[in-house]
Amino acid sequence: MAHPSQLGLQDAASPVMEELLHFHDHALMIVFLISTLVFYIILAMMTTKMTDKYILDAQEIEIVWTLLPAIVLILVALPSLRILYLIDEVENPHLTIKAMGHQWYWSYEYTDYEELSFDSYMTPLQDLNPGQFRLLETDHRMVIPMESLIRVLISAEDVLHSWAVPALGVKMDAVPGRLNQITFMISRPGLYYGQCSEICGANHSFMPIVLEAIPLDPFEDWSSSMLEEA
Amino acid sequence: MANEGETEKNKTFKLLGILDVQNIPCARDSVLYGSAGSLVAGLGYFLATSRIKRSFDFGVGGFILTTLGSWIYCRYSNAKARVQQKLIQERMKNKLIYEGTVLDPTRKPNSSSPDIYIFFK
Repeated sequence: MAHPSQLGLQDAASPVMEELLHFHDHALMIVFLISTLVFYIILAMMTTKMTDKYILDAQEIEIVWTLLPAIVLILVALPSLRILYLIDEVENPHLTIKAMGHQWYWSYEYTDYEELSFDSYMTPLQDLNPGQFRLLETDHRMVIPMESLIRVLISAEDVLHSWAVPALGVKMDAVPGRLNQITFMISRPGLYYGQCSEICGANHSFMPIVLEAIPLDPFEDWSSSMLEEA
Repeated sequence: MANEGETEKNKTFKLLGILDVQNIPCARDSVLYGSAGSLVAGLGYFLATSRIKRSFDFGVGGFILTTLGSWIYCRYSNAKARVQQKLIQERMKNKLIYEGTVLDPTRKPNSSSPDIYIFFK
């Protein structure tokens, strides 16, 4: 999760998010260089002698300020398109989970093998234990096995919602009557937090998402225990 | 968790308020190479022509080109190293799992040892 007053991206927990972090660094370096150039041009303009007020054309400078932006755009577009196609790679996921948005909670269904489903409500402030995070904790986490390709089918039962987990680089709208699909793989175990990302009413800020990534054996134990409780 | 953020905030230094040269890989080296390139280009042009204003132009141009070139080279090398690291990790894992079987990645073809086959349910 984000630490207090964090401005930058969260640490990556999936390969796609790692690529997005690297692309963000690359784009930031280009922005820095362009800003340096612009600041220098502004400074240089303050000391000009204004002797070229009546020039009618300047082929060389026109070529330069056409080619340079084109090169900059190519430098940004190529890595961007590479990541875009990387995200859309089609592979067979190991597990499919349905995430349904409601006002104002998420429900998860694990229906690959048995019928396992549960709701995930935000833990209210008064029920938090010491060390837990305000507005981020839930009563039931979405538990998934790490290092496995997971497919999440996202939809909504009432109004628009959006299922987002920044550390994994995933965000997808939950649209009533529509099934949206995302796939991701979590590289390391841990807890990953997200929040609803589409305005959906009074408690839009109070329906968080918590992913718990664990190895496969504990995941199987968890799913067995959840089925026994149900 | 709160203390982590505070110590990290104290340590970051951002050029022009945006580029975190301490934590972004290759950023510090690129800016340092760029500064050196700027000095060489600007000073070299001035020594050759004694034109002050144009020397500054060359200095800034040299900074931008050297920084960009160094950045692209360093990031490309880092990306290649990351891919190789992932390949090595994958192959080490496969070696541990499949050692002695037909799928052993280090197994030489036509070896004399008997083949062990793995059957999956």
